[in-house]
Amino acid sequence: MNTQEERQLSDLLHRVTPEPPRAVTIEDVAIRLASEAARGRRPGGRTRPRIGPRIGPGRTGRGRAWVPVLAAAAVVAVAAASAGVATLLGSRGGPASPAGAVRGGTATPASAPASASSPAAQPRRTARPTWAPQSISGAPWGAELINPDEVAQDSLTGGDGSLYAVVSGGLDRIDPATGNVLRSAPYQSAPPLVGPPAVVGTTVWAVWSYTGHSVMLHGYDATTLASLASVTVPVAGWLPATAQGVLTAGPDGNLYLAAGGSVAVVSPSLRRVIRRITVPAPVVSVAVAPDGSRMYVSTSAGGQVFGMLVYDLATGKPVSSSSASYGGGGNLVATAGGVWGTAGTGMSEWTWFAPGGNLNRSVRVQGGAGGGLASVPTVSGGAVWIGGSHTLACADPATGAILASAAIPAAGGALQYFGRVVVVGRHAYADYQGDQAGRFGVARMTPPAACFG
Amino acid sequence: MYHVRVLSIDQPPVEVLRVEGGRGEPDGFRDFVAARSGALLRAGWLLTGDWPAAEDLVQTALAAAWPRWESLVRQDAPELYVRKIMVNTFLRWRQRRWNGEVATGRLPEAGGYGDVFAQVDARQALLAALDRLPPRQRAVVVLRYFADQTESQTAAAMGCSVGAVKSHAARALARLRAAPGLAELMSGGVTS
Repeated sequence: MNTQEERQLSDLLHRVTPEPPRAVTIEDVAIRLASEAARGRRPGGRTRPRIGPRIGPGRTGRGRAWVPVLAAAAVVAVAAASAGVATLLGSRGGPASPAGAVRGGTATPASAPASASSPAAQPRRTARPTWAPQSISGAPWGAELINPDEVAQDSLTGGDGSLYAVVSGGLDRIDPATGNVLRSAPYQSAPPLVGPPAVVGTTVWAVWSYTGHSVMLHGYDATTLASLASVTVPVAGWLPATAQGVLTAGPDGNLYLAAGGSVAVVSPSLRRVIRRITVPAPVVSVAVAPDGSRMYVSTSAGGQVFGMLVYDLATGKPVSSSSASYGGGGNLVATAGGVWGTAGTGMSEWTWFAPGGNLNRSVRVQGGAGGGLASVPTVSGGAVWIGGSHTLACADPATGAILASAAIPAAGGALQYFGRVVVVGRHAYADYQGDQAGRFGVARMTPPAACFG
Repeated sequence: MYHVRVLSIDQPPVEVLRVEGGRGEPDGFRDFVAARSGALLRAGWLLTGDWPAAEDLVQTALAAAWPRWESLVRQDAPELYVRKIMVNTFLRWRQRRWNGEVATGRLPEAGGYGDVFAQVDARQALLAALDRLPPRQRAVVVLRYFADQTESQTAAAMGCSVGAVKSHAARALARLRAAPGLAELMSGGVTS
């Protein structure tokens, strides 16, 4: 290093280059070698290697290559070969979180037609008899359990007169009148999901995988849940581990997807990315204003700090930014008055409202949730709804004022939780878990008239 | 023993590969990976601008080093070898004009997002500047000024002469000097 300029460059490179989000382990290397062995390649062969194993049926030969044996023989690699998703068990301490910034996705094309291996919809296979609604003692707004299935937390959404929920192993379409499962589309291996599905017209779009280099969306017919299409969206940068609420439907009929350091706009009709808006940090969540003029993006800035960028969708340029240090920033929803989201992580969460998308003016609007449960705002039926384990509330979408709220009592010492609230007709529905009987499923409530303006 | 199981989307899990009798884990390799993977990944990020691709580079290099580990240790050159594989793999990808996913989420204009994004802005400006370099110049910058390799070590890693390394370095510095915003960063704009 001879010159001052060289020393400055060296200093800059050391100073600015970030720490990696995860380390490479010897198990990663062993998997790489085993993968190459299965393909009959020598280590460091002349084909661009991929992250994680790409071994599948028909590639079972032992090949000529060198293969390793680990001293710590604790690695099991499970590759979802058809879906191109790798999940590591054992030495990495269990399956990768669906929301985690997992390394292991494989390179995929920018868009793809409906996969031949996509599961077909089928009527619900269940042995349980028709479920009679059960009251939830002491719960607010006359809550009753209308469906006893294990609904994934905060995955409930509504559209076209139906409810849609991610359950263990698949996507269900639920009749809001009876709670019966009308159709079911199984997920056989891909790790679902980050947030609820989004309904656009007669198609339900769900995030099928959210790992590695790409995000896969899958579209289902809203009535039959027949598999219609899949769209693979390349990721810019990396996917933050704190991503929550990454897919939303805009008023323009397009899907907005948080895809690492950008938001991808996906046309459901064209089934491809039609626009990409770059963001200067990994996107945690995205929401679009009801009039389509603004896009709100929360970003991960490390630690408890998160940022909020407001974009003019006409130009794709940011028009304002702010930050907050109370953590989270996920599950954004936008209303005429501003943006709402989840704060806090882990054991205590609550919902905030930022008028105009300015976090400097944000206010806490509700009691939130404890016990590791989420406090998720939704917009449905003309109001903002906020679930949790302390209070249920509806709020004015323009001002953030609480219109009505009700305490959620503990039942027999157990927390009761009402998650994502959606409205169909004059009823509100939420994924429910809790009470002393350990019940869970979909709850139906009759909110006060104040919630409907 | 090492197992690889395949979970097909259409079928129940089927064990398709069971490897027995392979070569054992060499002494010191695990410690090397644990100690050096962070620095290697950061070098990979500077080369590729992308964490998944950086991981790919590092895994490729370590996979190549494993079977030769004992020999590399005897030559006291394991890290040099790993960096050489990384650089050559990176240059090969570029030569083949690989068109897979490459991070494109670059900030169009630096600054303006407040302090919490200053570090992000600096990273994006740095990557944008490095993107302006031809692959060999970029490799020289990473090896010389980030990995702190000597000119002769850099030349050995890249398979070229010391004179070529000097030439690449001079041209790279000239290009970086002209990159928007980088001169201010080099003179100490942002601290981590």
